[in-house]
Amino acid sequence: MFSHDPWVWIAAIMTLAIFSFLYKENWFYRIAEHLFVGMSAGYAMARAWNNALVPNLFNPLFADFGRNWPLLIPALIGLLYIFRFVPKFSHLILIPIAVGLGLGSGLSIAPTIQTDIIKQMQSAIADASNVSAGGWGLAWGILSFIGVLTTLSYFFFSREHKGALKVSASIGIWFLMVGFGASFGNTVMGRVSLLIGRVQFLLTDWIHVIR
Amino acid sequence: MKQKLPLLIVLVLGIFFTIQFFVPSRASEVTYQTTLQWWLVMSSFAMVLALGSLINHHALKIKRRKEGWWNSWVTLAGIAVMGGLGILGGPSFRMGWANDAYTRLFLFVQAPMDSAMFAILAFYMASASYRAFRARSREATVLLVSGFVVMLGIIPFGAMLWHRIPDIAEWVMMVPNMASKRGILFGIGLGATATALKIILGIERSWLGGGGK
Amino acid sequence: MKFFEKLSQIDRRWIFLLVALAVIVPLLSRMGLPDKPGKYSLQLFEAVERIQPNSQPVLISADYSPSMMPELDPMFRAMVRHCLARKVRLIVMTLDPTGAGLAEDALRQIAPEYGAAYGRDYVFLGYKVGAAIVIMSIGENIRQAYPTDAYGTPIDSLPMMADVRNYADIPLVVDIAGSAVINSWVIFAGARYKARVGAGCTAVSSADYYPFLQSGQMVGLLNGMKGASDYEYLNQQRGYTSVPRVAGKGMDAVSIVHLLIMGFIVLGNIGYFVAKKNAQPK
Repeated sequence: MFSHDPWVWIAAIMTLAIFSFLYKENWFYRIAEHLFVGMSAGYAMARAWNNALVPNLFNPLFADFGRNWPLLIPALIGLLYIFRFVPKFSHLILIPIAVGLGLGSGLSIAPTIQTDIIKQMQSAIADASNVSAGGWGLAWGILSFIGVLTTLSYFFFSREHKGALKVSASIGIWFLMVGFGASFGNTVMGRVSLLIGRVQFLLTDWIHVIR
Repeated sequence: MKQKLPLLIVLVLGIFFTIQFFVPSRASEVTYQTTLQWWLVMSSFAMVLALGSLINHHALKIKRRKEGWWNSWVTLAGIAVMGGLGILGGPSFRMGWANDAYTRLFLFVQAPMDSAMFAILAFYMASASYRAFRARSREATVLLVSGFVVMLGIIPFGAMLWHRIPDIAEWVMMVPNMASKRGILFGIGLGATATALKIILGIERSWLGGGGK
Repeated sequence: MKFFEKLSQIDRRWIFLLVALAVIVPLLSRMGLPDKPGKYSLQLFEAVERIQPNSQPVLISADYSPSMMPELDPMFRAMVRHCLARKVRLIVMTLDPTGAGLAEDALRQIAPEYGAAYGRDYVFLGYKVGAAIVIMSIGENIRQAYPTDAYGTPIDSLPMMADVRNYADIPLVVDIAGSAVINSWVIFAGARYKARVGAGCTAVSSADYYPFLQSGQMVGLLNGMKGASDYEYLNQQRGYTSVPRVAGKGMDAVSIVHLLIMGFIVLGNIGYFVAKKNAQPK
């Protein structure tokens, strides 16, 4: 009935070690928890070495140093992260952070405006004025448009919520609540799915009661 | 100087790459491509920061014999074993046995624990739903009803109960839910853009440490 | 009335036990509830259907970790099966370090089912640090982000990659992710490089992507285990695989747990209103 594969047994034991927390906190769980953190970090370190540093830095440098030596510049900037652990020079870590922030901010502004603002606004307006969508289609388009505006008005804190703004913000809250309810409904499925995955493993691969 | 240089770097890079998006010249394209390549290399070293902090934390715990210090040995062993096997088994050394052990330890030790860690959330969510999800106000009732409709719409039972329930759930997702999420998305877009500009222009300085002073 | 008040003070471990039973019993009993694929699952499936066999490849980014495996791994496997069954070439990469191990394991199992050859029918590029940077780099030249595949083989020596330079040579990009990295794909690959983006996400985050679906910035969306189950169902229905469905089986248990949690909420609320009524001065 039970699996004969020792690796499956190890996987089952590790699963049960984590599940044991449901009864109460215990040393079996704590060991598994610490092992998980360590293994995850070690795993990610090896992946970063094998899949990023070796092909993108070391290989080009060893293959043709004359042509690829400029790669040493980002490598040296990246190495400044180490100074986080040298208190006297810890300010040097601000340089790679600054490069990352400058690039990240600069490169993201235009696409973010395009994706999250312009495209969304275009779509909201197009939907609310799409007569060819038919009666209900147009009605839902207009409702969505009202929903967007009222939701935005709820987040408008520069003025006190009274008068028309209060009415609009109140409607916005209702839309937000429907949205949060929808997220909740989906979250239930998501969390349950994760449990199902583990139970399927225990019943299928370990105990063999499901085939 | 300790803070001026980072601020200058952010300003120059931020302005250059904001403009670069709108100026598709050959020179700007080459600069963009080279920068991406460099950034890839640089960001790989961020792992040093994460890993160093973790090792530092656990080494200190062991040194100071803090409560549960022996658990820290387990974490450090995990880092050493997985990191070592992964590098030995990877393209740099190509040791088959190490790669095999690395893969198996990932699939049969690390992955089950990761999976189980999140699986237990289902139990707590069920318990919280029972104890805390109350229709205390009209807004909370709307949230509850919307959640019920979506939960029923996803599962086959919903359609068995009434064949229109999946359509209603789909409508909830695509009309009111979409509208509220679009409103939030606008907010995120505006907020992200404003924050990016504040960082570039040096108005937002909390990343420099010292609370932005 | 005391019954409801007592019920509201029940030890949470009883609730845990009921949840466990609601998962185990349907898995053992195989209820086989009917399937009806969702609209956006179908859209993504059809987007893959429209790609010509042995032509330009689909790019799938397996950006998920074992914590989201039950929802996203069946999705990834179903998509891989669909592509390989139709001889649609496949580039697999990941922006999550643990996703590399999971995707690699899935490819190792599925490729032999269809006699797919590495380098000709599919490639595995592996993990790369720096989500947005990698996405943008692929937009310039995939070799910039991935000079080699996950095994250290130069990209240029893989036959199917010969004509692939950037998103212009990739008719569909699908991100299967359990994090907000899907937004980065839409923002950078979609907006900046005009790639057609589809996604598979955890149910927790699915509601957030409807604005992108409505605006056409996403060609389709697989929503958690239901989305995975839909894709498995469509694969079987079109004869692309006969492998037993993993997510499909799980959906029976999802149904029962949903009903149980709805029951909990109703009971909890009855208890709340009874207690409220009793507390009112008579």
